[in-house]
Amino acid sequence: MKSELKNLKGLGVPEEELFSFVEHSDVEAEKITAPRYSYWQSVFRVFFRKKINIIMLGLLLLIILFAYVYPTLITYDRYANITDSSTKHLMPAAAIEKFGFSLSWILGAGGSGEPTFDTIWVGSQISISLALICALINLTIGILLGAVWGFSKKVDIIMMEVYNTIANIPYVLLISVLVLTLTASFWTMVFALTVTGWLGVAYFIRTQVIIIRDREYNLASKCLGTPISRIAVRNILPFMTSVIVTLAATEVPSYISYEVFLSYIGVGLKDMSLGRLIFEAEPAMVTNGWQFEFWSPVVVASIIAVVLYVVGQNLGDASDPRTHM
Amino acid sequence: MAKYILKRFIHGLISIVIVVAIVMVLIYTLLDRMTIFAEDEVYRKLQSNAKTTYTYRRWQDYGYLDYVNYSEWLTAQVREGNMDAETREAASKLGRKAEDDDEVVAKYVQEFTDYYKSKGFNVERLKAVTSRRKVAAGGQPELFAHRDRPLSSRLIEYFSSIVTIDTIHYVDEETDIGERGLTFTTHDPVYGGEKFSPAIIGNGTKHKYLLYFNDRFPYLHQNLITINLGTSYSVNKDHDVLETMLQTQGEYVTKQMTFPTNHTEESADDLHTATYLAGSLAGSEMLQTRFVDDYTNTLTTKGGRSKIAFSFSIGIIASILAYALGLPLGVFMARHKDGLVDKLGTFYIVFIMSVPSLAYIFLFKAIGGSLGLPTTFDVNHGTTLMYVLPIVSLALPSVANLMKWLRRYMIDQMNSDYVKFARSGGLSENEIFAKHILKNAAIPIVHGIPSTILGALTGAIITERVYTVPGTGNLLTQAINFYDNGVIVGVTMFYGLLSVVSIILGDVLMSVVDPRISFSNESR
Repeated sequence: MKSELKNLKGLGVPEEELFSFVEHSDVEAEKITAPRYSYWQSVFRVFFRKKINIIMLGLLLLIILFAYVYPTLITYDRYANITDSSTKHLMPAAAIEKFGFSLSWILGAGGSGEPTFDTIWVGSQISISLALICALINLTIGILLGAVWGFSKKVDIIMMEVYNTIANIPYVLLISVLVLTLTASFWTMVFALTVTGWLGVAYFIRTQVIIIRDREYNLASKCLGTPISRIAVRNILPFMTSVIVTLAATEVPSYISYEVFLSYIGVGLKDMSLGRLIFEAEPAMVTNGWQFEFWSPVVVASIIAVVLYVVGQNLGDASDPRTHM
Repeated sequence: MAKYILKRFIHGLISIVIVVAIVMVLIYTLLDRMTIFAEDEVYRKLQSNAKTTYTYRRWQDYGYLDYVNYSEWLTAQVREGNMDAETREAASKLGRKAEDDDEVVAKYVQEFTDYYKSKGFNVERLKAVTSRRKVAAGGQPELFAHRDRPLSSRLIEYFSSIVTIDTIHYVDEETDIGERGLTFTTHDPVYGGEKFSPAIIGNGTKHKYLLYFNDRFPYLHQNLITINLGTSYSVNKDHDVLETMLQTQGEYVTKQMTFPTNHTEESADDLHTATYLAGSLAGSEMLQTRFVDDYTNTLTTKGGRSKIAFSFSIGIIASILAYALGLPLGVFMARHKDGLVDKLGTFYIVFIMSVPSLAYIFLFKAIGGSLGLPTTFDVNHGTTLMYVLPIVSLALPSVANLMKWLRRYMIDQMNSDYVKFARSGGLSENEIFAKHILKNAAIPIVHGIPSTILGALTGAIITERVYTVPGTGNLLTQAINFYDNGVIVGVTMFYGLLSVVSIILGDVLMSVVDPRISFSNESR
């Protein structure tokens, strides 16, 4: 052996290009070489590939900043100027002229001489909180129960009857009665919106679970003796992630929309939420010079809803592993 | 198939009964009963005992409880012949306190108390409220019995009274109203008795005219079978929900009328709708000049259309428009995926999906208003132009919805094997889309058509409010605001029935369109 090696040296081949002997290692032999793949990293890589998402995320941050940080920095009193009639219903230019330039007055003044800009953000905080809490409760209950509903055929028979019955109760009636019985506070509203709201989510998840429950890979898992709980967590939940994120994307704005609707028909919150602002400013829509009072909360509510929806939808798309290629 | 549909329908009816029960529990037990007095002027003015009895009377009117007053009971005893008028007179003089009752009074009070206690009522005796030894205003002593109506009897009563068939025994048998019976006439007296117009007239029935012709669609009308979904108390007092929806609205339409007494007058009364109102003729001079019997309670003819007609015409045109626009657009978006139209369409869908509906309806209103279209509804002097904005506001969101789903279904179908097979067989893209993909993708869309059509009957809450359309959409919210329990139950029942029927019809339609879907057991 050694003599042959010496011969090779004689051929003038550099040392590093020659084969060298590698010792056998049990640890190294077990390693599998594959490109590194992290699910969440890929999700964000795909998400940030689109420029629009960065803009939307920036807007979302700005909204959160204004809704949750801005109100703590200012001293907001709706009725501070109530006695001064010259401060009521001012257009932005007139309001800035009267009070001097500050962020508060760039959207003019409302019916009690309050700065419209501040009112909107105080209201947004209530509306966004309501939407997020309701969506969180409904999604949690809906997903958990929906999964059970989809898996068990016995539960399915009972739950379908429950669903068909409860879906027939007019939503407006249920919420109105609950709001009337339990005073229109924030938590009453949360209760009213979630008491039957989770059923829709659960029904949606049930359909999704049924679609993938009997796929071949799950049957294979079952044949190999994997327990149901493990199939649910390992096989089905990852598949559902993008569905759930997409669902959340439609749920959150729909609650903002719903809150506006309920306030408009007069069963909404007593607090000055965005919906109540729009409801109270409705006469201002047709009055010349007052339009800012009405359109500003409408536009802000729309922007919040659109931003939440677009961010959620694109996050939903990005969380689908099929887009990670 | 028929068996399956029947089974589904019975299931649906059971679920409606449960829904009505839930709604009854919600409004009759969860809601605070005192809320109905929030804007009641009479309640505010009354004092002490009178206020208490008024409260119970109103609760009875709204359907919360059964209430019997001692003096009413005495009157009933006289009517039934258990007592003569003199004894009644003596027995009705309640003492200021229970101990002050004289012998006769005490005897009947005891009888009253025992009778109602045995039937599960609560009997209450209110002492006279006095100031300076005199009975204060509204402070008369009172004796009454009341009992909360249990859910089961409320439900049974509600469902058994939904369909009523008019009989000649409707009017109290004791009342003398001449010979009871139905008469058929070929010359309707409402038209002066000269024009040929067959009618069936009843005596002893609730409605005077049981079958008649007039000049309004559907020309032949009947009052023999009445549907009673729930009687209104405050929204449209004493009228049924269905009647409230179907009644004409707006200004009175008067025409020369010949009343039963041959009195002629310009009037808006619709004599065909006359119903029996006991003792009404004797009590009113004005009625005596016009009517010869107690069938005096008539509806009036008004110029505008009914609530349901407004809602349905707006809803149905909007739906047709939505399908006419949404389906081709959805197909086009899927056919040219990622093209300009697809991108614009997706933007529109996102806009409608995320922006609060109130906001874009106001936006449409503002845009329409600046174009010179009427933004409010006028029942009496309406033009066809006033329908434009409500229809557009209803149609545009449904267009987005249809576009979204049709595009989704078509794109899902595009990757299936049969499409690849058709393509490899040499079919053009247009053929594949029109003949293969569209047919498969349209099946779930077809399922929604019946519910769209029937849904138009229930109206749209926001659209009708924003454009002040006098439609059915606001009936429920109005009833909730006025605590009109009868209307709430009635409207819920109506909604429930429509939704059950529309889902079944949707399934049937789907099985007609797609022969692979079958509901009969044999072919499975």
